[in-house]
Amino acid sequence: MSIDVVLQVLVGGILVGGLYALVAFGLSLIYGVVRILNFAHGTILAVTGVVASLIFARWQLSPVLIFILLVPSVFLLGAVFYRGLLHPLERRSPLEATIGTVLVTVGALLILSDVTAVLAGPTQRNIMLRSPVIEVGNIVISVTQLAILAAIVVMTLVIHAVLKATWFGIAVRAVTQEPIAAELCGARSLQVKTLTFGVGSATVAIAAVLYVLTFPVDPYMGFGLTVKAFTIIVVGGIGNLPGALIVGVLLGVAEGLVGLFWGPEWSPAISVILLLLILVAFPAGIRWRRG
Amino acid sequence: MKRFKHIPQFLTWLTGITAAIATVGFAGSTPANAKIGSCTEPIVFGTTISESGPFSTLTSNWRKMTEIFAEEINKEGGIKLASCDGKSVPLKFAIYDDQSVPATAVQLYERMASVDQVDFFVGPDWSSLGGPVPPIAERHGIPIVMGNVATPSLYQRGYKWVWGTPAPAVPRWSERYFDMLTHVQPKPQTIFFLTHDNPVMKAITAFWSKKAAAQGLKVVGEETFSADLKDFTALIAKVRGAKPDIVYLSSFDNPSVPLVQQLRQLKVHAMDVHHTMLTGALAKQVGNDLEGMTGELTWFPSVKGPYADLFDRVMQRTGITMFDSIWTLARLDSYIVMIQAIEKAGSVDREKVQKALYKGTFKSPAGDIVFDEHGFPDTGAFTIQMQNGKVQVIWPPDVATAKPMWPSPTWQ
Repeated sequence: MSIDVVLQVLVGGILVGGLYALVAFGLSLIYGVVRILNFAHGTILAVTGVVASLIFARWQLSPVLIFILLVPSVFLLGAVFYRGLLHPLERRSPLEATIGTVLVTVGALLILSDVTAVLAGPTQRNIMLRSPVIEVGNIVISVTQLAILAAIVVMTLVIHAVLKATWFGIAVRAVTQEPIAAELCGARSLQVKTLTFGVGSATVAIAAVLYVLTFPVDPYMGFGLTVKAFTIIVVGGIGNLPGALIVGVLLGVAEGLVGLFWGPEWSPAISVILLLLILVAFPAGIRWRRG
Repeated sequence: MKRFKHIPQFLTWLTGITAAIATVGFAGSTPANAKIGSCTEPIVFGTTISESGPFSTLTSNWRKMTEIFAEEINKEGGIKLASCDGKSVPLKFAIYDDQSVPATAVQLYERMASVDQVDFFVGPDWSSLGGPVPPIAERHGIPIVMGNVATPSLYQRGYKWVWGTPAPAVPRWSERYFDMLTHVQPKPQTIFFLTHDNPVMKAITAFWSKKAAAQGLKVVGEETFSADLKDFTALIAKVRGAKPDIVYLSSFDNPSVPLVQQLRQLKVHAMDVHHTMLTGALAKQVGNDLEGMTGELTWFPSVKGPYADLFDRVMQRTGITMFDSIWTLARLDSYIVMIQAIEKAGSVDREKVQKALYKGTFKSPAGDIVFDEHGFPDTGAFTIQMQNGKVQVIWPPDVATAKPMWPSPTWQ
């Protein structure tokens, strides 16, 4: 097998891994602050992707406009979803609240998938832009792919900066570390949690628009993505964005290489295998060294 | 515990509502009222259609099509029965939605046999349903002609009441395409098989990779992919590395959408990329990416075989075309074969119809259907190519609507 073939797979793996990381950012943020495992997280990507491709097919809007239209909408829906359905469960006992959030998020996953399939059809859709390609030897990279990679890097930096340098970021960290003290300092925990759920959902909407520019989506693909995002945040660490990006890219590359050397039918399983291996090898979690 | 005190009351309500829904559901379903052996009552075909669930995209408007088919048959007098002094008896269908779920299909066929007491079974489709349904026909001694159940091994279980009209049958799926490959210039030397992980598609690859090798084509790769796979980079990198003359995609249309798009995106070069399910649905999803690709079509209206006008009329009234709904021929064939078997038997006596199905040749617009000893047909398909956004039949030459564009310019 020539080196070109392996390099082509590495390029594809980095792209898809970056998208996985972007999905995982939102999940990590939500779990870090709200302490809810949102099983519908990947389904938000699938549904947003379907809506984006429908808008493109109907009005031929530029992906940038679709992005501007969808990201705030999903932010709003995420915030309403939290306030309307998940927040009331916090008044229950810890056990009931945990079971309740699982039921609500799994229920949302099923309802969102089925309603989208009924309204838009269960078939795959995407926004396939025919862009010029750059050929380096036998390696082919499209300009769209390069733009997506650049967008992933920019989004990672923006999210990182928001969490480090803004009031919202400071409040998020305060609520995560010490909710009562944060409340006493003026960071209202309900508002912060609602905003976080909205931002987490908006992050996955960003990933959705980038995803449909190169891969098709269908209403039922969400749960597989959620499992990958779980793997990334377990391995990369909750709230650790650079860690999530590294693990996301590694996962994407691992899927590509498994597909190349073992067979593409095994690629989807690698995230679960990786998760199990790491849970067995590092039961206390991986500690990423800082500085 | 206070919180749970209303649960028994809730369960009572839930049971009541479920019972009410079930009653309304059964009352609203199609009652067949068949009278077996009657010369006055309609002959009832019991069938299920996958109107919901994952296969529903393949069966759009089939309920309407089935009802129109019965109307058209009855307009021409119905089904002729020698046992009724040559009198014709109308045809009626009992139709249910199997939800693309094997267990639901099993329940519905059991219901049609025991409660509706239909005369004969036609359908279902898809190999996943074609496995568990035949034992019901066997148990009740009801002849069944299934539609799109294309896996040969499902027929090889010693059944006595089971036939099928999948079109094309696996051993004849790409027969005309491979025949074309022996006639085109420049002649292809190598072939790469990409297979969707599905029993029918794997059976097609298993059969045609051997045929390709026997024909002198070197098989330079065989890869399988799951229906959920979105990123085909690794697989396409292997194809690019192998540089085959022919890329043969053995896949249902929907799972191959990203594959077709990424083959174009990653600039794969070949003499031809052949798709076993080059359908209108795929064309709608990938658009111009299909240009120049070849595929199979079971029948098209300009081939004027027996019943061609009837099928064309039924499809026109329903508003579907063969390219948009390639599974339609096998469905309609299952109906027309059962009608011919009844007319040959001259009676609705199930044993006589069973004997008629064992022998003889059955007429279809795409050509004669002859069953092997297991009830499996020998239906073939025509080779098509997307040329300037339109589907053209390119092989065999005697029925072709255009010449093959070879090598396909869009893959150069």
